[in-house]
Amino acid sequence: MAIKACGLEPYDKNYGVGVSALGENFSPYERINKLLKNFHNTPYTVDSQRAVLVTEAYKEYAADAQIIKVAKALKYILEKVDIQINEGEILVGGNGAPMRSNPVFPEFSYAWVADEIKNFPLHEREYCPYAPQTEKQKADLLSIEDFWKNNTVDDHSCARLTKEEIMASQMGYGLFVNTIILRAGVGHTSPNYRKLLSKGYIGIRKEIEEELAKLDRKNPDHLAKIYYYQASLITIDAAEIYCKRYASLAREMAEKAEPERAKELIQIAETCEWISVNPPRNFREAIQLFLLGTCIIVTEANGQSISYGRFDQFMYPFYEKDIENGVATKEEIQELIEALFIKLSGMQKFRDKNAVRQASGRGLGGDCMTVGGVDRRGKDATNDLTFLVLEARNHTRLISPWMAVRLHKNTPYELKLVTANSIRMGTGEPKIFNDEVAIPAGLGKGYSIEDARDYTVVGCVEIDAAGYEYGCHDASYFNVSRVLELAINDGKWLEDNVQMGIHTGYLKDMKSFDEVLEAFDKQMEYMVGLMISSINTIEQVHKEFKPLPYLSLLIEDCVKNGRDVTAGGAKYNLTGPQALALGTAADSLSTIKQLIFDEKKITAEELIDALKKNWEGYEPLYRLVNSDKVHHYGNDDDYADELAKFVFDTYCKYVERRPNVRGGKFAPGVYSVAGNVPHGLIQWASADGRQAHEPVSDCIGAVHTHVASHDIKGPTAMLNSVAKLDHERAGNGTLLNWKFNPSSVQGETGLNNFIALLDMIIEKKLMHSQFNVITREQLLAAQQDPEKYKHLLIRVAGYSAYFVDLGKALQRDIIERTELSFD
Amino acid sequence: MPDEKVQKGIVFNIQRYTIHDGPGIRTEVFLKGCSLHCKWCSNPESINSKPEVGVYKTKCIGKEHCGYCDKVCPSGAIVREEHGFTIGIDREKCIGCFRCTDICPANALKKWGKEMTADEVMEEILADRETMFRSGGGATFSGGESLLQIDFLVELLKKCRGKNIHTCVETALNVPKENIEKAVPYTDMFIFDIKEMNTEKHKTFAKYGNERVLENAVYISETGIPYVIRIPYVPLHTGTKENVEAMTRFINEKFKNKPLQIQFLRFRELGEEKYESLGIKYPMKDNGFEKFELEKDIHEMVDLMKNAGLPAVAGTTTPIK
Repeated sequence: MAIKACGLEPYDKNYGVGVSALGENFSPYERINKLLKNFHNTPYTVDSQRAVLVTEAYKEYAADAQIIKVAKALKYILEKVDIQINEGEILVGGNGAPMRSNPVFPEFSYAWVADEIKNFPLHEREYCPYAPQTEKQKADLLSIEDFWKNNTVDDHSCARLTKEEIMASQMGYGLFVNTIILRAGVGHTSPNYRKLLSKGYIGIRKEIEEELAKLDRKNPDHLAKIYYYQASLITIDAAEIYCKRYASLAREMAEKAEPERAKELIQIAETCEWISVNPPRNFREAIQLFLLGTCIIVTEANGQSISYGRFDQFMYPFYEKDIENGVATKEEIQELIEALFIKLSGMQKFRDKNAVRQASGRGLGGDCMTVGGVDRRGKDATNDLTFLVLEARNHTRLISPWMAVRLHKNTPYELKLVTANSIRMGTGEPKIFNDEVAIPAGLGKGYSIEDARDYTVVGCVEIDAAGYEYGCHDASYFNVSRVLELAINDGKWLEDNVQMGIHTGYLKDMKSFDEVLEAFDKQMEYMVGLMISSINTIEQVHKEFKPLPYLSLLIEDCVKNGRDVTAGGAKYNLTGPQALALGTAADSLSTIKQLIFDEKKITAEELIDALKKNWEGYEPLYRLVNSDKVHHYGNDDDYADELAKFVFDTYCKYVERRPNVRGGKFAPGVYSVAGNVPHGLIQWASADGRQAHEPVSDCIGAVHTHVASHDIKGPTAMLNSVAKLDHERAGNGTLLNWKFNPSSVQGETGLNNFIALLDMIIEKKLMHSQFNVITREQLLAAQQDPEKYKHLLIRVAGYSAYFVDLGKALQRDIIERTELSFD
Repeated sequence: MPDEKVQKGIVFNIQRYTIHDGPGIRTEVFLKGCSLHCKWCSNPESINSKPEVGVYKTKCIGKEHCGYCDKVCPSGAIVREEHGFTIGIDREKCIGCFRCTDICPANALKKWGKEMTADEVMEEILADRETMFRSGGGATFSGGESLLQIDFLVELLKKCRGKNIHTCVETALNVPKENIEKAVPYTDMFIFDIKEMNTEKHKTFAKYGNERVLENAVYISETGIPYVIRIPYVPLHTGTKENVEAMTRFINEKFKNKPLQIQFLRFRELGEEKYESLGIKYPMKDNGFEKFELEKDIHEMVDLMKNAGLPAVAGTTTPIK
């Protein structure tokens, strides 16, 4: 039977424009709507069980080799943690806590957890609060505090960082921030689902046993590998036990259930039983193994952005076979995918109170699913599942999974239409990746051509050789506009004159603009160096203290190399730190070049004084710098755009190809995600017309300060400006956030022209775009009446989040981004 | 030699990525100056053919901090309120030197209208040529009344043709017929308004009756150039059934080639801030239109025209084919 590439619904179905996730019953399936309702009605909580279990295991297995110890700890958790099957569920799994409950991972960082429990009740949090904790939970969490003191990845890392590294980081002046890998797992990878689904655990076990048989305990060089393989086998045992526990639970529940539900539960039991060892035989078994296989990764570690890969590709063989053999209908498969999305959204990651102030604290975070694109031979790979997955997203409108669509010059029109219609809905999903840039960027990072074509999106922005890479894609965020602050003030901060960088002189003594650029270059080299050494230090601690044997089963070539991912077992070992505030740096340079050197309207002393005084007493200058009388990045104006390019290239130059601790190298990214808000918060005034503590420019977008948006020429001018940057060079990713007023994409004209814009994005080689289609008024209304708008899902940057869950500063930043209007 | 002088036009805005004035994604060039003076015009800065100063008083940062405009104004035309914020321009005194708009750091004083050469305009248009080609778009010349600066317009149209840029001329048609004749050889599409069939009523909201407009409309329909008709649907003025019926008859009887599309445009209260910046009272204030169901009425009118065999649509979101 031939399968046409189209989902259940007509591909030109219009879900509405600018409606976001307001309303309910989006799905055509009654079960899904019920599950959604139950999901939304379940409170967010923090669960102590995993934390207690891992502590017990660490004590019990204290004498084991570290990698054996962590494997046994995972097994201990999976054997003992409570599991649930919720009403109406047809897929099962969890990450060591019930739906919408957050498990705790003390191995990575614990001081803040204990501190919040003691001093800052979780239910009193301003943002992302949790339901009140029970006394038992509190007592449990406090009982392990002593054990983890000076015993976490966080503690070990901080003990090893130098004074300068700490001063430059979030613990000091915050030029770069590496909290993500310091306080949690590294995450940011996409497992080899193809392998899991084709071989099953039994196949992977066999692979390991064969490798282990080749080793000799008498050979001291083999010992580490032997421990690694033994640990791997322990985790496979653990996975089998975990799957079988769900099977038993389902059987138990079936005995007491109504006949119809009992049938479903038996099916769950049989599915889990089979996949606990064997490779799946049909779509249902495959999607259940996909889910449980993923659940274990996020129980082993809390690294963000464990991504779901090219789901429409590796699931397709099962789909095709089932449809051909009449085993399942399209409708059943669609329902399973929607059920999966609810399960994925139910898993949570616990974040500290400051982290959630700046970004959304709900969901696992960064769990991106990719569809569309070309296959390993370069042909279009769009298939029926591509459409079903996007429909499932439109029917569930949840935080997970984060959805990425890969487009390329031969993407079928139908897929562009479905994508455009999803975006127009206004939930901020999906994001658009451009194969025409992402594939060359992958080649630049050293991927083979096949692996480059088979890339998946990880987390917010990152390109990843799915299943072959451990890419540490979110290693750090580095504020390039603060490098300029040092470059014009002899390496000192403007706010307090403390020396941070090297001595490169003062702006007033610089004879030409070239000298400014030269100082910027030198400061960049020095500060990037501090960031790199910090990241390497932290990664080294992960390698020593928290190896990941289960994840390593699913990343090639760990098994072949006999090393886990943290030790460089993967085929591709990269580390990706991002530059942020590109626009802020470019417009600051533009101010200096135009007003001081070219037009000589102001002196260097005046500008520095204005900045030191946070523009106070310099009102006309402040306004002028924020007006269109100064050249600004984002207006298709080479004067400023060339400066953005200079900043971009200078950052990349000092990051790319530096060695990391896993035998791989660094690959730069240029984007902020929502980091532009917290980075701005700790930063003094800047020459682009930004006051102290305002957000810096987001991702690769233009500056928007409290008094003005600096891009005033509309989307095509922005497109041209951004296209001048060398996206291929930023192998870890770039991102442009677009915000459209619904009226500008309304109707058939709006749709056609929006698709034309997507085509231009492909043609002009922008790597990655994300869209908000929402009115400013709607956002302001949501700020006023959060209860009414609690399901309003909007694009932040790299991810979508419930608007009302966001901190006030971030809400304001989103509202102030330029709304691109067409008429 | 006068004919060797580079001709300049007065442009009050160039907007990239417009999607409502012609097919595809377009760059729209707004030429300053209009002869019709419709009461509901939402671009009052487009009416006067000369550059003028707009005052955005909420943006002014005040004499205490700034006061630059006073210092440069040679005729003392800056009007301030008691706290030293600029609130207007004494247009009697203003000599139009624009030193104040050049120096104002806060964009509180803005120059409406800029002298540009055709090559300068073309540079802006060509910046988006790939997007135009990809989307089936082009350049739209609007106003004001684009056909009043006819020599400048023709030069632009010729240059676009030379670069294969699709052109639309948007016009209110209250111009000498010979102006249209000059534009015809180089125009790919016309978009024009017909507002009111009763010339006396026409005079109640515009400076002139409709005779010249209708005559020119018929002429365009005879040229063979594709065109789109727009009907601004304004309650109590153009928004009546008899007007739409009369228009339907007129189009069916007099127009040689039929329009590609007839767009009903809903009246919107726009431009009040701009009127204020020019020191003019907003003429459509307190219009009492709240009681009208514009969307519903427009759809009825669209059906009426459709039933008479005309390609009527509501708004500008239906592709022009």
